[in-house]
Amino acid sequence: MKTKYRSKKGAERASLVAIYAVLIIISIIWLIPFLLLIILSFRGETVGMSADYIFPKQWSFNNYVKLFTETQFLRWYGNTLLVSVVVTIVQTIIILATSYALSRLRFKLRKPLMNLMLVLGMFPGFLSMTAVYFVLKEINLTQNLFGLILVYTASSAMQYYICKGFFDTIPKSLDEAARIDGASRHTVFFKVILPLAKPIIIYTVLQAFIAPWGEYMFSSFVMLGDPDHFTVAVGMKSWLDSSQLMAEGYFSIFCAAAVIVSIPITALFIWLQRYYVEGITGGSVKG
Amino acid sequence: MADVSLTHIYKVYPNGTKAVNDFNMQIRDKEFIVFVGPSGCGKSTTLRMIAGLEDISAGELKIGDLIVNDMEPKDRDIAMVFQNYALYPHMTVYENIAFGLRLRKLPKDEIHRKVCEAAEILGITEYLNKKPKEMSGGQRQRVALGRAIVREPKVMLLDEPLSNLDAKLRTQMRAEIGKLHARLKTTFIYVTHDQVEAMTMGTRIVVMKDGFVQQIDTPKNLYNYPGNKFVAGFIGTPQMNFFEGTLLKKGDNVLIKFEYTDAQITVPYSLLYKAKPSYLDGQKVVYIGLRPEDISLAPEDVKNNKAVVKVVVSHKEDLGSETLVYGDINPDGDGYVESSTRIIIKDNSGRDLQAGDVVEAALNIERVHLFDKETEESVLPRVPEYNYLDCEVKKGKLKFLGAEVELPEAVQTDDLKGELLLPTNAVTLGGNLQAELVSCEEINGVYLLSLTLGGKRLYAVSHEAVEKKSVGIGIDFKKITVTADGETKISPMPELNCFDCKFVKQKTREEVEVKGKLKKKKVVRFGFAAHDAFFEASDEMSQKIFAALGIKGAHTTALRMECDAYHLAVSENGIAAEALETLDYGTEKFLKCKVGENTVYVKTDTDYSGNICLLPDFEHIGIVEIEREIKII
Repeated sequence: MKTKYRSKKGAERASLVAIYAVLIIISIIWLIPFLLLIILSFRGETVGMSADYIFPKQWSFNNYVKLFTETQFLRWYGNTLLVSVVVTIVQTIIILATSYALSRLRFKLRKPLMNLMLVLGMFPGFLSMTAVYFVLKEINLTQNLFGLILVYTASSAMQYYICKGFFDTIPKSLDEAARIDGASRHTVFFKVILPLAKPIIIYTVLQAFIAPWGEYMFSSFVMLGDPDHFTVAVGMKSWLDSSQLMAEGYFSIFCAAAVIVSIPITALFIWLQRYYVEGITGGSVKG
Repeated sequence: MADVSLTHIYKVYPNGTKAVNDFNMQIRDKEFIVFVGPSGCGKSTTLRMIAGLEDISAGELKIGDLIVNDMEPKDRDIAMVFQNYALYPHMTVYENIAFGLRLRKLPKDEIHRKVCEAAEILGITEYLNKKPKEMSGGQRQRVALGRAIVREPKVMLLDEPLSNLDAKLRTQMRAEIGKLHARLKTTFIYVTHDQVEAMTMGTRIVVMKDGFVQQIDTPKNLYNYPGNKFVAGFIGTPQMNFFEGTLLKKGDNVLIKFEYTDAQITVPYSLLYKAKPSYLDGQKVVYIGLRPEDISLAPEDVKNNKAVVKVVVSHKEDLGSETLVYGDINPDGDGYVESSTRIIIKDNSGRDLQAGDVVEAALNIERVHLFDKETEESVLPRVPEYNYLDCEVKKGKLKFLGAEVELPEAVQTDDLKGELLLPTNAVTLGGNLQAELVSCEEINGVYLLSLTLGGKRLYAVSHEAVEKKSVGIGIDFKKITVTADGETKISPMPELNCFDCKFVKQKTREEVEVKGKLKKKKVVRFGFAAHDAFFEASDEMSQKIFAALGIKGAHTTALRMECDAYHLAVSENGIAAEALETLDYGTEKFLKCKVGENTVYVKTDTDYSGNICLLPDFEHIGIVEIEREIKII
């Protein structure tokens, strides 16, 4: 028996080693591009994309200084931040409200509506890009940040699925208890359901922020030919498109911009993840 | 602090499932009502309808004097405790209890005072700052109770509050809820599937099955006088023994023959006096129910009792204070499977029995219950419906029990010798026949009079207590049935007249006075169309119809209007009818009419013939949806 026990433990250890080895390899593969980006952003010398070495010969902050003084980056950054924050707020509200309604209320066509939204959500958004562009043009919202916000938030409700799934796990008897206690539907939502839904609110906020922050396709269409209204993705792509700019050392500036762009998302995640805990409904009902 | 009244309450789900059928009950202030039944019997649905968490398909729900059918739960002044506690997990115990008071915008110090008071009653003061997840099941349920009592509701609703607790805690909480009820003096409605909880807590118990109320009574009466086989089997552990058998009346004795075995016993008829007479023919198979505690193995009982059967012991369960002996009255039966010969006996004699032993068991027939095999209804009712008597009709006179009465014109028949089916409510007080009163007992609001007439027993029901030894009685001839040679010679008058009708919308142009001037205006009226006649419905009636049938269904559904003979009058307008004949019942006269295919009866004092019109009294009509047999009004 004893040998068997030991061999079991040995096997467990071996499998753990294998798992960690794989994980380490994967994380190295994931981290290399990002590390490369950071290193390149500190390159002092002006060489193009074609340089065949990694570590800069001269470390410098010059790229960051240039980024904020010589380019329109700060403006683009502001545009993107504005759009993302507004979209985050509007989209989170719409998704939470839709999900709660679909989870708690029973009305005719509820099921067909849910299925329709699910199926429509499976089509990639760019299929409708030309149509959306022409509509925006008709109402004069091209080259306009509001137009972009409108495009991003218009289909928010279709992302109800995960959030509704979460609401479904909050026992209905809580709603009922609150209604008997004297709460109206919206009191139930704000005072009982939302405090319990923190994890899913965080998830929704993160998703809602990340999508417009890095979105390129729609914004490049809507903002075509108006550098004042570019978002970071469109603006930086315009650098990459110009071989002249690249040759003039913009590649290092591009890398610096990429580092700056990643900061808000990282910060947001680090700030919000402490609310990302599970088991918040513990104790409400017999579990 | 309020009565709750449920009148013809139905719950029908959109897919057609009927969860609750025709629930009628008057719950008095401060009562502790328990709804009990197996899962899916509609008890929780009924509770949730009272709470306002489920819509009521049809019927009327009153709390206090208010009809609350369409009222929001928060306005009904009720509190509810859920099976899974339903505490707000993000709030502390204090906040949980205070939540309802805060929503009602009470001053802070008052909230504090009430929360502390409730916490004290329930002994949870020290947990007030804890979150629910830090507490045990019993403590959580106390918090849920606290949240309910702090609002001082008119009605407390409890939906299986103890089913999530372990057995010991359940017993303890049961006692505490009982104490709470005594202290709060509020109406409690409690749902459970546990018959022990029901029996120990309720002042009255509602036994439900498949959406139908089986019986509403006190725990004691449910145990002693179950109305049907289901109630008999549901209440009491171990379950009542059910044997199948036939009863044959032989003079003053009744021979009980058990099926699937040779066992038979003879008992005096006086013990089975209330049994419906038609079951004493030795043909009809009935369920014979006897509780395990009404069967004895003690030698002195066996010696003194004539009703003794032989039992083959199969196994036993020793519970310490008593022993449950399982056996079979069929020598070849096995006693393990629930069958109609299996017998369970609560034995206190302390005899050491082995499997295979054959013992004699004395059946206490005074405590026997009899149920119809098909309907499973009791055939030994507490209040018998009929007196079943031999009778003779000679020259227009009815002879029974040595008495003789003149038959009125309406029920005249040829001379015959036969049986008289005399409903107990057709024996009226204040007639010419002199009967002796043996006993008068109150049963569920009516008084059952046990009389003797010509030395034989006669039952009558009355709405008031009778104390005189000698009572004058009469016969309500419109309720009697006389049969001879298997043929019905006199049949009773139906209690309700039925008319087919529809709910219709009528648009008319009428002159209406607007600001002192007469103007032609369109007027929309709702009402019932029955056989070409239109009766305007009151707003209340229309609302009930729409609530039950929906806007679309209201006008397409076939309905039946019901009205008794006393609330139907011959009039200038109304439902066209053809007068057939006048029936003279001596003290009263009724007009027999034909409306379409139906025969209806009208109380009248004058004779009519030919075509007349009938006008129902709208205060006293009933409206029934024919297809689903739902009484809407």
